[in-house]
Amino acid sequence: MRYSYIKPRRKSIFTAELQLLFVFFGITVFMLFLTYAFLLFKDYRFSQDVKDIDTKRVALNINIANMKKQITFIEKENLLSERIYTQNMVLKDSITNLFDLVPQRITLSEAKLLKNGLILYGITPNKDIYNFMLQAPLRSIFHKTYSSFYPLKNGWFRFVSTNYIDDNEVDDEIDNILNTDDEVKNES
Amino acid sequence: MKVSMSRQNIYLLVLSTLFLIFVLLFSFLVLIPKGKQYREQRNNLREKNRELQQYENFNSDTFKLLKKLQSDNRHIITAFKTDFNPQRFEKENKNFFSSLVISKKVYINKIEDEFSVYEVNTTSHISSPKSFYNFLDSINKSDWVIKVNFPINFKRDGDMIRSSFTMRVYKVAKDSNSSK
Repeated sequence: MRYSYIKPRRKSIFTAELQLLFVFFGITVFMLFLTYAFLLFKDYRFSQDVKDIDTKRVALNINIANMKKQITFIEKENLLSERIYTQNMVLKDSITNLFDLVPQRITLSEAKLLKNGLILYGITPNKDIYNFMLQAPLRSIFHKTYSSFYPLKNGWFRFVSTNYIDDNEVDDEIDNILNTDDEVKNES
Repeated sequence: MKVSMSRQNIYLLVLSTLFLIFVLLFSFLVLIPKGKQYREQRNNLREKNRELQQYENFNSDTFKLLKKLQSDNRHIITAFKTDFNPQRFEKENKNFFSSLVISKKVYINKIEDEFSVYEVNTTSHISSPKSFYNFLDSINKSDWVIKVNFPINFKRDGDMIRSSFTMRVYKVAKDSNSSK
């Protein structure tokens, strides 16, 4: 026996209101987890970026250290070459001065330039010319000057002039310029 | 006053309350700390990027300086690397001398483990001291770093002057940090 004219519909716990609510809840949960996922992703990206930056920084550090080494070495090369070139120029000036020092009336047959001295061999018409024109300037330059004369048949004299500078002065004046020599000696 | 709520509404209220609690807990326990961490890391990354930029700028400046030094000192750098060749030296400097004989180079020592020093003995004939001055001028522009060393001997030999001297040739030691 039927009590109603309509067909009975099934009752569900998920009513339209509840379904709407679940949709809103779902959207909210989805947005919450999306935010969380975004934060996790960013966190991962940041740590990757920091790692990359650290790697780049280490590489740059090594590169900079390497370049600094090269710069220091070039500066050393430059300094050493400057010293050597200066020494060559000083030597040139010394030899020029030496030959300018010898008067025309005195003839040199040999000149030995030592690190701390000078030995001259030559011929002079007489001892006075030698003493006044050559020995006097030599005395003003060197600390010790020794001269020997040997008479020749024509009345002239063969002379040997040995001149030395004190070692201390040589160290001060010459070795400062020729610093590289000392370094070599010290190591040997 | 009696409040009558349908069963449906009670479900809705309970569910909404539970959801609110979940949202609050999730936000305060997970999202907000994570957000703080995110902000810290973002600032940290900015700082690191700034530092990296400084490093890159310094690297760039150092590179420029190195290139400038290499360019300015190209002759010296090359000269320090070049092996001394007596035949080439004789050929390059024969204009200054009537005759020039160079002995085989002898290894002397190292300077600070970075430069090797070789010594060669030289015997030559020159027409006048001027030739020797010109030689000393030109030696500073030669392909090697050479120092004319004491003792230097000049001796009259007929119309010529016989000169003998030693030269020290400086070269970058092979095991040193050369400027490549």
